[in-house]
Amino acid sequence: MVQTTADGVDLKERLIASVKKEVKQLMEEAVTKKYVHEESSSVTSLCAAVEACLSQGLRRRALGLFKTSSTTALLHKIAKTCAEAEHISKMVQEIESNDPNKRSSSSSDSFNRPPMLKKGSSNSMSTATATSSSTVTSSASASASISVSISASNSSMSLANMKYLWIRLALYEKRLTKIIEYLVSNAQSYYDRDSLVADPDYGSILSSLLVGPCALEFTRAKTADHYWTDPHADELVQRHRISCRRSSSTCSRPAIINFKRSLNTSSDDASSCSFKSIASASVAKDYVESLHQNAKATLLYGKNNVHVLPKDVAELMPGYLSLHQHIQTLTIKWTPNQLMNGYNESEEEEIDKEAFWAYALNINVDEIVYVHCHQSRGEDSGGTVILVGQDGVQRPPIHFPEGGHMQQFLSCLETGLLPHGQLDPPLWSQRGIGKMFLWPKSMRRRILPSVMESVDETPIDYVFRIVSKSRHEEFAATHSILDFVRSTPRRAQLSSCSTTGSSDCSNKSLSIDQYPLESPLLQQHNQSTSIEMVCSTMRRQIISRAFYGWLAYCRHLSTVRTHLSGLVHGRITPEMKTDEEGLTKERWEQLNADGMLTNSTEFYRLIYFGGVQPELRKDVWPYLLGHYAFGTTQEERQKQDETCKHYYETTMSEWLAVDAIVQQREKEKTARAVAKLSSGSNSGNERTVRAADLEAGGELENEVFEDISDISDPGDLEFDDEQRQQQQQQQQSQEASSAVSATHLSVKPIPRAMKTSTDSGHVDEGLDELDEEEEEEDEEEFAKKPEEKQQSADEAAALESKAVSEKEPQPQQQQQPSCSTSTASSYETVGGAPQPSESRGVLSPEFLSADDLQAQLPHDEDTVKSTQQAAVIITNASVDIASWERTTKTDGDNQMPPLTEQLESTGSAGNMDALQQPKSACASPASSNGGVYSSELLEQFGLNLHRIEKDVQRCDRNYWYFANENLDKLRNVISTYVWEHLDIGYMQGMCDLVAPLLVIFDDESLSYSCFCKLMERMIENFPSGGAMDMHFANMRSLIQILDSEMYDLMDSNGDYTHFYFCYRWFLLDFKRELIYDDVFATWEVIWAAKHIASGHFVLFLALALLETYRDIILSNSMDFTDVIKFFNEMAERHNAQAVLQLARSLVLQLQMIIENK
Amino acid sequence: MASRKKSLLKVIILGDSSVGKTSLMNQYVNKRFSNQYKATIGADFCTKEVVVNDRVVTMQIWDTAGQERFQSLGVAFYRGADCCVLVYDVTAPNSFKNLDSWRDEFLIQASPRDPEHFPFVVLGNKVDLDNRQVSTRRAQQWCQSKNDIPYYETSAKEGINVEMAFQTIAKNALEQETEAELINDFPDQIRLNSDNNRPGNTDNCQC
Repeated sequence: MVQTTADGVDLKERLIASVKKEVKQLMEEAVTKKYVHEESSSVTSLCAAVEACLSQGLRRRALGLFKTSSTTALLHKIAKTCAEAEHISKMVQEIESNDPNKRSSSSSDSFNRPPMLKKGSSNSMSTATATSSSTVTSSASASASISVSISASNSSMSLANMKYLWIRLALYEKRLTKIIEYLVSNAQSYYDRDSLVADPDYGSILSSLLVGPCALEFTRAKTADHYWTDPHADELVQRHRISCRRSSSTCSRPAIINFKRSLNTSSDDASSCSFKSIASASVAKDYVESLHQNAKATLLYGKNNVHVLPKDVAELMPGYLSLHQHIQTLTIKWTPNQLMNGYNESEEEEIDKEAFWAYALNINVDEIVYVHCHQSRGEDSGGTVILVGQDGVQRPPIHFPEGGHMQQFLSCLETGLLPHGQLDPPLWSQRGIGKMFLWPKSMRRRILPSVMESVDETPIDYVFRIVSKSRHEEFAATHSILDFVRSTPRRAQLSSCSTTGSSDCSNKSLSIDQYPLESPLLQQHNQSTSIEMVCSTMRRQIISRAFYGWLAYCRHLSTVRTHLSGLVHGRITPEMKTDEEGLTKERWEQLNADGMLTNSTEFYRLIYFGGVQPELRKDVWPYLLGHYAFGTTQEERQKQDETCKHYYETTMSEWLAVDAIVQQREKEKTARAVAKLSSGSNSGNERTVRAADLEAGGELENEVFEDISDISDPGDLEFDDEQRQQQQQQQQSQEASSAVSATHLSVKPIPRAMKTSTDSGHVDEGLDELDEEEEEEDEEEFAKKPEEKQQSADEAAALESKAVSEKEPQPQQQQQPSCSTSTASSYETVGGAPQPSESRGVLSPEFLSADDLQAQLPHDEDTVKSTQQAAVIITNASVDIASWERTTKTDGDNQMPPLTEQLESTGSAGNMDALQQPKSACASPASSNGGVYSSELLEQFGLNLHRIEKDVQRCDRNYWYFANENLDKLRNVISTYVWEHLDIGYMQGMCDLVAPLLVIFDDESLSYSCFCKLMERMIENFPSGGAMDMHFANMRSLIQILDSEMYDLMDSNGDYTHFYFCYRWFLLDFKRELIYDDVFATWEVIWAAKHIASGHFVLFLALALLETYRDIILSNSMDFTDVIKFFNEMAERHNAQAVLQLARSLVLQLQMIIENK
Repeated sequence: MASRKKSLLKVIILGDSSVGKTSLMNQYVNKRFSNQYKATIGADFCTKEVVVNDRVVTMQIWDTAGQERFQSLGVAFYRGADCCVLVYDVTAPNSFKNLDSWRDEFLIQASPRDPEHFPFVVLGNKVDLDNRQVSTRRAQQWCQSKNDIPYYETSAKEGINVEMAFQTIAKNALEQETEAELINDFPDQIRLNSDNNRPGNTDNCQC
């Protein structure tokens, strides 16, 4: 290996650099996570880097090390003379010998090293010390054998560990430094003269670099958060909070209506965060790591146990003070000791730490103008530093311990400010006077003492001003030129002009820099004509640029107007005065004088800007939701409520009847399924047709599924469904009488159907399916998915006229509400239902359900009957009709063959006949009651009920209101709604919408009718409607207009434009994002906003939510998935009032843009 | 850095509502069970780093809403999935029956490269309950008929088999991913058998 010296140095440099990098990585991991996992990738890469260093220039030939795992061999070699090496060597051998299928070490993997190292020529020889394939998860303790057995069972864990085995072990055992030290000191016998290890500098650097990692504790324990890679939303927010807290409290900027970027017009905490620049936010991201020296920032100063007295805290808190130099800025950070241990895991602590985060300081030195120093005279008792910002606000005082720490800090600060800034007066000039930092009294408070704390007689104070040269120069330059151009004729005023003109800019540059403004001015005066030439050119340029800018802006505005003008109301409603606070009791009494509410505008305005007082909600919400009309009298409303209640109860009694049937069937089904399951597992051949078992085999059952899996082929589906139906019918008939089943088998015309039917006879497996399929058979005739029944029914209607029977009863049900008395309505139901069936002449499903119930449940019949009769007032008429219906049914059967293709023909007819026998035999009221509702209806509603039940049970169980029987109320309201809107059906999310209403009203019928009102808008958001896509599109436009930076980010992450993270927001009106009290407050504002500012207020809420965290999103450049995760984790932790406020200001902002004000 | 190369495995959990998808995910990722979960609206996901076949991979586990009609918005989530977990509730036969439609729906929406061999894993959840209604044998048979889908009976509540199931999921997902990489290496590969397997899975747009 011939290398020039330069190459060699270069290589060594690189090798050492890579070790350094890995060490740093590992130490950072140790600091942030408090431990390092043994399998951590940073351990592996460190080992790789060390390995590379050690193999460079190794005298293999001389030492007789030809194997690729040369450094392992080296270890064994030095083991004789080095105690540490001996220990590790033994461990390595032990592990290797324990490995049954030991692999040749030559098979190790060069691909695993960092690519950079491959460049090194000697590295081509160096390979990993990979020795075994499945060993070595070792916890490096003596119990190597145990770990081997662990790893054997968990072979997937092995490879990461098996590389660089000995280095790894030495690291865990904290002996690596010792071994390397030994190698370095004995380098001449093992290494070439120009190798890294033998190098006087690099060798010792290498060993000393590893001191740190060797002091770390490594763990194999997997803690809960061990595998987390993405920071939790909490952490992101905390990081952000800590970085923006200082800046946000200082920037009391005026409300700028800037369509491009700054959205924030409110000055409260959460929203003002969004002002921050990406640069400083990215500091936040690395907060924890950044307390240490890292690539982004140099640590200039660090001192622990520096005391700070944060606001609202009684006593001094110790913490870690550090000074960081970034490329552009200088940051002073102080972190309370409580936070210095990294992030906590346990929930309880979290709350406490939350508070501490608020105390932490993160001060950008750019924002600091003055540094006040307080010191006790004559003695070295530490000192206090107070930083004063541009706005004159003091930062919490920083108390330094004794021992010249303050002086040290100041000198570090001064160094850090260079070259662009400095302390004024310079620190060094004070050094001559007295002992370091004991300044003479004459110097005291020379500069601007106005903001100083009260001064007692003893301490010696001093004030430094921080002067930033670069900033000032830039500023002065731009402004003087601008002003010059603008005000050429009146140069004399220039100075004052620039001052006032830039008053909203940083005070700092103004206060400091009066004099530099003069210098360009003077020059301007001196040179006359040429300058004027330049100026006129410049003026032209500026004007033309301004013109084009204006043109672009106009075009932009026209886009805004065309696309977004519909989102907000044209007129801008005046905001409330500060002393008003929404709809208070007094206001409500005023508005609602003598029980009549007429002034709707004022009513909405108050609620939009200030919400409703909680105890008024019960009375106010019905108006908001449109349940009560404005201007109605007390009596009218009372009457309305009564009507509603009556209607609600009537409707409820209807579906309760259905519910009873459904539940009964369910119970039966479950009981039987369980019975079948247990008996089936015992013997497997009770009542089984053994021949069928042999013929059909196990796979037949699956065929049912296989066939329907092909949705794309409707014909196939149809075929399959019919098959199923046959199967079920057969099963039923088998149950009824075994003789019938025999007939069936012989009737089957198609071999395939035959096969299925044989299978169905196979009780062992078939019967547990039987019941479910019975229930679903009707709907399965039309479509595979019951939810889509309505749609598919329409399609299927062309094929089977039966579909109509499903649809007809529904309008019937909906007509009912018009009837005021329950008796009348039930008559109508009963009388009306058969009508459509008669006209169509087909009604097969009715039979199955009612009959089914009867046949299976003779003993339960009475119970069913009684429940149903209790629930619905059923007249005798129904019995007659039902039995008459049965006769029509037979006719229907005769019509079936032509309709349903050849497949079913005789078989199904036979089935029907068979089924009819038991039915006609016992024409009980129960069966006829069931028959009133078509089987599809029963089925459909049953399915909905089932879903409702499942979701109701899961709805806000931890909220006090729903801890008890109130869940039943929830269920009732939703079921009633679904019963009335069976075409819509139950959709997940409805529970969440009803729940808050119910909590407020605590009245089922009122909640129901308000929910209906609410759903008029919300229904469009559900998958059946198209509002969601519209929302997404509008969101996109709004972001484009109001926050171009965010828009760019979204645009760059292509997927991001899906906006799915808003899905739940819009679907549930933010119900899941906020806690209950905030949901109430938000909802009423949304409702009021419709009449006041925007019918799409939810969009602005969504935007406000997004903007609240915009800096976190931007600085972490989150993509679509990250944002979903972030907001899911942030659910119920938002500051609703701040978000609402921001949303209102966003509405206003858009209104302004549209108005072009 | 090559040695630190991480890959992302995207795993989708599908199944009827309240079969325990969210619970399974949280049991696996956070080792916690809560009976306070609400019905999932929209979608959520968790990530977890696992070591599979000596590689450190990040599993991104997507939890979806259980109601079928919400699946229309699943497309965005399904794309690029490496493995699909089908969950049913052993006490709810319907949820088992619907596995078929879930599987089909997924294959249609995600349109994986090789639908026949796309890795699925079936989990029969809630085995801790005693009112079981779907027999192991039946579930196994179904899985066998579908190209030998691995089947596990789990309990998110008790943490039974959860770890093992997800280990399999990760392994299968990784294999799928590796295969995908191989295919990418040879972009000209023509798959002759792809159309007769699943007619119309690419172009029957039902949205």
